[in-house]
Amino acid sequence: MSKLAHLQRPNRPLMIYAIVYLAFLYLPVALLPMFSFNDSIYIRFPLEGFTTKWYAEMFGDRQMHAALRNSIQVGVIASVTATILGIFGAKAVTRFRIKGVKPVLGVIMLPLVIPPIIMGVALLILLTQADIKLSLWTVTMGHILICVPFSIVTLMASFEGFDKSMEEAAADLGDNAWWTFWRVTFPMVFPGILASLLLCFTISFDEFIMAFFLAGTEQTLPIFIYSQLRFPQKLPGVLALGACIITVTFVVVFLAQWLRGRSFGTPQAGGE
Amino acid sequence: MKIKDKVKAYGQGELSRRDMLSAMAAVGVTVAMVPAAPRSAKAAGSDATYFTWGGYDIPELFQPYIAKHGEPPSFSTFGGSEEGLTKMRAGFVADVAHPCNQAVPRWVATGLFQPVDPAKLSNWENVIPSLYQLEGNMEDGRPYMVPMEWGQTSVTYRTDLISPEEESWDILWNPEHEGRLGVIASAGDTWWCAAIKAGVPFEEIATEENFQKVAAVLREQRPLIRTYTDDMTTLEQALASGELVAAMTWNESAVKLRGEGVPVKFADPKEGALTWVCGAMMHKDADVDLAHDIIDSLISVESGTFLIGDYGYGSSNAKAFEQFSEEQLANLGLSSNPTDVLKAGKFQIPQSQEFETKMNQEFENIKAGF
Amino acid sequence: MRPARLSRRPAAPVGALLRLSDQGEDHVAQSATLGDRPAASASPATRRSLATRFRRSDSLRGYALLSPTLLVMAIAMCAPTAMMVALSFWVQSGFDITATFTLQNYEQVFSNPIFEALFLRTIAISGTCAVATVLIAYPMAYYVAFHVKKNKLVWVILMTLPFWTSYLLRVFAWKVVLGYNGAINSGLMSLGLISEPLEFLLYSPEAVVITLAHAWAAFAILPIYVSLEKIDRSLLEAASDLGDGPVARFFRVTLPLSAPGVIAALFLIFIPTFGDFVTPALVGGPDGLMLANIVQKMFGKLNNWPLGSALAIAMMAIVTILCVSLIWLSRKAQERMI
Repeated sequence: MSKLAHLQRPNRPLMIYAIVYLAFLYLPVALLPMFSFNDSIYIRFPLEGFTTKWYAEMFGDRQMHAALRNSIQVGVIASVTATILGIFGAKAVTRFRIKGVKPVLGVIMLPLVIPPIIMGVALLILLTQADIKLSLWTVTMGHILICVPFSIVTLMASFEGFDKSMEEAAADLGDNAWWTFWRVTFPMVFPGILASLLLCFTISFDEFIMAFFLAGTEQTLPIFIYSQLRFPQKLPGVLALGACIITVTFVVVFLAQWLRGRSFGTPQAGGE
Repeated sequence: MKIKDKVKAYGQGELSRRDMLSAMAAVGVTVAMVPAAPRSAKAAGSDATYFTWGGYDIPELFQPYIAKHGEPPSFSTFGGSEEGLTKMRAGFVADVAHPCNQAVPRWVATGLFQPVDPAKLSNWENVIPSLYQLEGNMEDGRPYMVPMEWGQTSVTYRTDLISPEEESWDILWNPEHEGRLGVIASAGDTWWCAAIKAGVPFEEIATEENFQKVAAVLREQRPLIRTYTDDMTTLEQALASGELVAAMTWNESAVKLRGEGVPVKFADPKEGALTWVCGAMMHKDADVDLAHDIIDSLISVESGTFLIGDYGYGSSNAKAFEQFSEEQLANLGLSSNPTDVLKAGKFQIPQSQEFETKMNQEFENIKAGF
Repeated sequence: MRPARLSRRPAAPVGALLRLSDQGEDHVAQSATLGDRPAASASPATRRSLATRFRRSDSLRGYALLSPTLLVMAIAMCAPTAMMVALSFWVQSGFDITATFTLQNYEQVFSNPIFEALFLRTIAISGTCAVATVLIAYPMAYYVAFHVKKNKLVWVILMTLPFWTSYLLRVFAWKVVLGYNGAINSGLMSLGLISEPLEFLLYSPEAVVITLAHAWAAFAILPIYVSLEKIDRSLLEAASDLGDGPVARFFRVTLPLSAPGVIAALFLIFIPTFGDFVTPALVGGPDGLMLANIVQKMFGKLNNWPLGSALAIAMMAIVTILCVSLIWLSRKAQERMI
């Protein structure tokens, strides 16, 4: 394979580029924790001394707690529902030769190609015309909509990588469809399900645009953050919150990715 | 099995059914618990909502309320009173909202609000009468809007970066400061300040000729503006960093910046600053008792003291002024005789909904560059 | 020997089942159809044949399983869109909507110079952002696909992790970086490269492009990486066997084969950025406003839902036309290459 040897030689400029690129990706994100320890309510250079009072303030902020709680609720319900719908969809598409599978998948994947503002606005119109009051439930509905495509893509990868004959064997030995699923399929695709849950939760947790249009009196965390970008006093507290969220999200997403990657032995990168 | 091994096993599909079931059960229980948790944690105090401008959703304004209920009300914010009204007309219910005098007749006309009962307000006797005896505000001796604070929209400028010969609205129209000026994105403030600059008397602001005059003045200003924003944060931070040399703000921005050590001054323009009085209105579907408690807190001496000392606004509570010396008040641009300042101010005059819509639309056009 | 259908528990434990993977296709096909014969209750001949037809048809069973998802998505997508279309033909004055058919909203959309200018600006910003992001992401994806041997998964995760942090806070972080006394300006000034801070960095369309490019870089790199990863290395070997140098090989083999990923990435960036109002609102300044800002205002303080709907539909149409043209163009280009 000597012809490809030059590909295997370390390519210095490219490596430097890769590092610079990663720096470009991470540096702005790193600024937030930095200013969350800064002793000034104004976000500007030069820095003015170290303090943890913003963290203390954040931990005591009731409004933030309520928003966080709301976001977690919405995230859990949306991710579980989207994953269940995704399981149905992925199993159906991978196990059965469905006529017209491409248009059907097209419909299901539609939310991926529509700008969120349009979906949010359209749902808002429908809800107000139907006299349905805006609330966390309407936000959840919107989030389920955008999570299902992600869920299906993630789960399709899981279902496809799994030997169908095992299900047939179970059926052959006396299991009906439900038990086949529960005792054979489910354990095998569990990493995929877990990844889908984590992915959908993360999407819902950070989703702002649709929540902005569909929320009622109760706020989700991104709505809270957006409203806090208007307050001088609370801004560093928001950055403290952001730093915490970043840390938790990093851990969660790292876990999800790693699980998916480990379940196939090769790094899986598609499907987000 | 250690967690790490368990996770590895998940990844390789080798985990036993029992472990998986227990994991799902844990998830299921958590999901079921989560909705229940906040319901049990909610106390009566935060059941009421206060819908207000940014900067007013703070516990400092609710010390009596907190003393009575243990916690402040829930807060929700709007960027401008038009935005707030639109949201409420779309069905959002807030027990107490915070409009300003210019918007009151329009708000009342929506039928979404009910008059407040002064008998239920322990601090009512200290409220300055000229602030609530406004046209269209009183019904059978009961006010729709209980005044809370009064203040001005004027120019906050960096004294170390520019030295204007005289304090005037011209600062925000000075081509020398091109790209270093900021104004409020909401027409409710900016249009009226432009009217002052254009020399249009407020009584005649709705005539077609004057409408075009103000629009022209705003167009003239647009190339000089670095940012139009409803965020006081943005303007204050930009002034603090020197990105802006002057901006259209309310009193509190200048007071806060000075408190942080930034050399600014809240101008007293020769043409006059835009003056307003804002207060609390009660929604028709509000929890009446909690709403009155909110309003009572807002007009209390404690809140008044905070508004004067920390934000530089005039409180509607006459007793609050007694907490400060003449010198302190003068430093803040206030006086212990609020009526004098109010008489000299240029108060906005309520307009029709048609005018509001037209004004907002035109201002959006101007901001977009047309 | 067929085991009893009515039994709910299999005789063998799960572990044994997992070892039965070499059952073979025929047996599998057989048991698939036979294994679902209805239980012992008597049913009329017609019903059995329908049921059997249902059970034998892969497609129908597939749809049955798919139906909850499909129904939910179809209704949730169609009903709101239909409502929005209807609303776009109505008029709103103050707070009352008159439900009579009229084209005046669309007339406004097409005749008002503001909207036209905003459309063009939005297309320009989104397009620039998409192209720029793909250009800077490609070498990174190339590096990880071809030059990273160990811990590829870690690199992939590192590449995509920033995408999962709060979008709002990332935009705000750029405000800090690009600001007047922000990281870039104070850095350049302390290095003595500039004497006055650069003003165009913030509150301009450029700021919007930079912020959006950063926000979506982590997301868009994935399709590119996947398509690069999938390239059969033996093709590259064949190309160099046939005499291509590394540069030629890149342009003749790697680039065309990674084209689907690049196109997918362009879509993945263009579509959401076209409809973004947060970034322009926070860093765009007066000149950086995009279409979505006006749509958001229509549903907010400007309170003109029908006009907002008409604008939204026009946005949808434009995005669809642009995407379809891009797909068509890329097909043509691929045909020509092959």
